Amino acid sequence: MRIVQQRWFTPWLFLLPGLAVVIGFNLFPFLNTVVLAFTDAKVLGGGHFTGAENFVRLVQDPAFWTAVGNSALYVVGVVPPLVILPLLLALLVERKLPGITFFRTAFFTPVIASIVVVGLIWTWLLDSRGLVNDVLRALGVLTRPIPFLTDEWLLLASAMLVTVWKGLGYYMIIYLAALGTVPKELHEAAQVDGAGWWRRLWSVTLPALRPTMVLVAVLSAVAAFRVFSEVYLLAGPAGGPGGSDTTLVMLIQQVGTGLTGDLGYSSALSVVLFVLTLGLLLATNRLNRKEDL
Amino acid sequence: MPTNPLSRRGFLVGVAATTALGVTGCGLGGGSTDDNADSGPVTGEVTGEIKFQTWALKPKYTDYINGMVTAFQKQHNGVKVTWIDQPADGYLQKVTADAAAGNLPDVVNVPPDLSYPLARKKLLLNIDTAMPDAKKDYLDGGWAAYALPGRPGSYGFPWYLNTGPTFYNKALFRQVGLDAEHPPTSYAELEAAALVMAQRSNKQIAMLGLTPVIADFGLYGVKVMSDDGTKFTFNEAKGVEFVEMYKRLFDAGALIPEALSATYTGAGTKFMNQQIAWAPGSAYDLQNFKTNAPSLYANVGITKTITSTGKANLYVQGLSVPSASKNKPTALAFAKFVTNAQNQMAFAKLTAIFPSTKGSMSDPYFSQDGGTDEGRVRVAAAKQLDTAVNYTPVQWSEQMTTLLQQKMSDAMQGKATPKQALDDTVAQCNKLLAG
Repeated sequence: MRIVQQRWFTPWLFLLPGLAVVIGFNLFPFLNTVVLAFTDAKVLGGGHFTGAENFVRLVQDPAFWTAVGNSALYVVGVVPPLVILPLLLALLVERKLPGITFFRTAFFTPVIASIVVVGLIWTWLLDSRGLVNDVLRALGVLTRPIPFLTDEWLLLASAMLVTVWKGLGYYMIIYLAALGTVPKELHEAAQVDGAGWWRRLWSVTLPALRPTMVLVAVLSAVAAFRVFSEVYLLAGPAGGPGGSDTTLVMLIQQVGTGLTGDLGYSSALSVVLFVLTLGLLLATNRLNRKEDL
Repeated sequence: MPTNPLSRRGFLVGVAATTALGVTGCGLGGGSTDDNADSGPVTGEVTGEIKFQTWALKPKYTDYINGMVTAFQKQHNGVKVTWIDQPADGYLQKVTADAAAGNLPDVVNVPPDLSYPLARKKLLLNIDTAMPDAKKDYLDGGWAAYALPGRPGSYGFPWYLNTGPTFYNKALFRQVGLDAEHPPTSYAELEAAALVMAQRSNKQIAMLGLTPVIADFGLYGVKVMSDDGTKFTFNEAKGVEFVEMYKRLFDAGALIPEALSATYTGAGTKFMNQQIAWAPGSAYDLQNFKTNAPSLYANVGITKTITSTGKANLYVQGLSVPSASKNKPTALAFAKFVTNAQNQMAFAKLTAIFPSTKGSMSDPYFSQDGGTDEGRVRVAAAKQLDTAVNYTPVQWSEQMTTLLQQKMSDAMQGKATPKQALDDTVAQCNKLLAG
């Protein structure tokens, strides 16, 4: 058999379709956003280079700090439950019991449900005249409705609840896959040594799952920092009372859309979002490495 | 080694250069403008293909639109009109994306507030110069809605108009002992009734579901903009007085808490759910109540919109022709055809809208109610139409709407005084206007 010598560009040809998609839909928009961040471009064209003016503006913009604060708070509020609760669910449904598939499917259903539908359902539930308040009032627990959707803090907490509820099933599946890789021998050896269920969970399962937990933390943290739909659907396009629940992505949307959208400023906000997300990833990575030592 | 270092470097440099060029080019520079947009009447043969874009008219009015397209194609040999209908949600985004890409259809449905930024960028044809004899066929208010403040010209054919009565829930009025047959007719009466309703129901029933939007300021008699259209002025004393009234209503529980972040549709849903008793609307809403909220429909009261100016709010829809259209003569002829008196009258009989053509309103259809609720709403609205005004300035943008709602919310919650909230809104809106 004769080995045909390839031309240097042959591998590039194989790469071309994928490369075209990445360049066209990821790299190009990304670089374009970076360039626009230094201009006063509008949605309908126009714009000149303005240096770092947009970045100076955002530092002085109270709406920016509110948005960063809300996005950061979202990470703090959402990541711990999304690391712990799906693990507990996975441990529950991991056992091979009759009918367990039903529960696995049930827990996964919110993941595939449309976020708009989910948002509407939760709005109906949490409204001042919604199911939750009506039931509590009917039971005599409340005289005044709980302002889930009108108090700035409760609104953010409600959105976090929706994120956690919707994300549980997704991370549960990741944990289920990881649980399958925990060596059985270790469990058997621990059992022989007299370790109970709790001890085996603590000393065998959790150490084996640590990389998965870090992965879940990273994935959920990045998603939480970029939250949009849940807050938008519960708080409305203005971002809750006085815009106090606006997250960073919502602010980008508010500033940059519409025929009069300020593309330059919203691009600057996007660049900051990118840098902060990257920082979050690097910090988690560093933390993980330190723990490995 | 199968390499040719120079070629490879050249290849990579080429890719990098192309990317860099593309990157620096996109989003900067002008939109596609046409310096000849205002240069004079558009002449030429009506032939060839055009695209026509409407806003959420499919499938309800498919036959009507297709009928017009067929009739126009029959009148003009060699014309082909492709009708595209965009769904209601995301229409602004669609128009924005098309405009930014220089890809707007030849005839496009845009309301006045969308036409303004497009016309300012010279992306729309000035109908006054492109088709000078068109203006005389339309109502002055409709034609003026597509004018660009501070510049001559008008940038759209007014299409259908609407003006709404106000709906109220008679059952809720009766529940708190208010006279359901004599609803409030002034702001003072509305405030008094709303306070009574909140107090007697122990804050369980609210009269209103929305903080004031810009058109509400106009209806109250606030001067929203300076005469030259260069700055907003709704922070004047009357504006402050108006927001103070809302603050009193909010504190008393006469404005639902959800109003702080609700959208117009959200407030409409609250009215349908019978959580609020008073809501502005249009004849179209009545059909909606009938289908989706029959228990409300049985109790719905219809009254005139409250205004201090004596002029109701006017909603206008129109058709514009982009200056970049490759087939302007046909696009103009088709837009004129769709908005002519005969076609608009046929449309008005299909749904609750009003024609923008002169003389159409004298049709008995708009003065005889035929004994139906729809008829009563139609006749009531038609009476308002004569003097109705579009209180939303064309310069008003989506960002400004969000800003106003946020600041009104601050005022309601006591985070800012009505005066501070309005001063802040006006200052920020003026900044957006200048940008």
